[in-house]
Amino acid sequence: MAMESPMIQAEMVEATEFPELSMRHNVSGVPQTTINDGKAHVVGAVPEQNLLAEIQRLVAK
Amino acid sequence: MAQLLNDDIIKQIQEVFGGLKNPVHLMFFGSKHDCPYCDDTRQLVEEVVATSDLLSVTVYDMESDGDLAAKYHVDKAPGLVIAAKEGEQITDFGVRLSGIPSGHEFTSLIQDIILVSNRDSGLNPQTRAFLKGLDKPILLQVFVTPT
Repeated sequence: MAMESPMIQAEMVEATEFPELSMRHNVSGVPQTTINDGKAHVVGAVPEQNLLAEIQRLVAK
Repeated sequence: MAQLLNDDIIKQIQEVFGGLKNPVHLMFFGSKHDCPYCDDTRQLVEEVVATSDLLSVTVYDMESDGDLAAKYHVDKAPGLVIAAKEGEQITDFGVRLSGIPSGHEFTSLIQDIILVSNRDSGLNPQTRAFLKGLDKPILLQVFVTPT
């Protein structure tokens, strides 16, 4: 998704190496996708449509 | 240090990278402080880059290259920016890896390189259309573990 917009940054984070950040976002199962530093979370593999819907929900606010 | 990737793995990577279309430039950010995986990650990235002429890497330090790290929004070490390159021009697509890409995540590194090299996200047209019109910044962080 990051490739489609200069507004998006996509970062894969190795959770065990950054425990403070993982704890702050309550990462219990992986993969977990966190949007805008905790504004939304999706646990598990997330289909493209669902992630798009989460982003649309956030930007509509 | 001994080689991290064995000959079988290198052969497999070379086969997959045979389909790469355009140059990809990796920017590695390490740190001398509290970074147990920095050396291994740097070596791993350098070994991957060596498998294809279309790949290049520059090595930076979070502290001494702090301005560059800030410019590319890299705040963790080891941090990796996977960018496109045309001639001397580097184009950042916002694709990042933080932490060592080992185990399952090694595959993510390889796939990210392929995506950026092909300059194609593979997303469906509706998704692309919406994302093109985004006017607010979005940070997606995907937490993973190597196992």
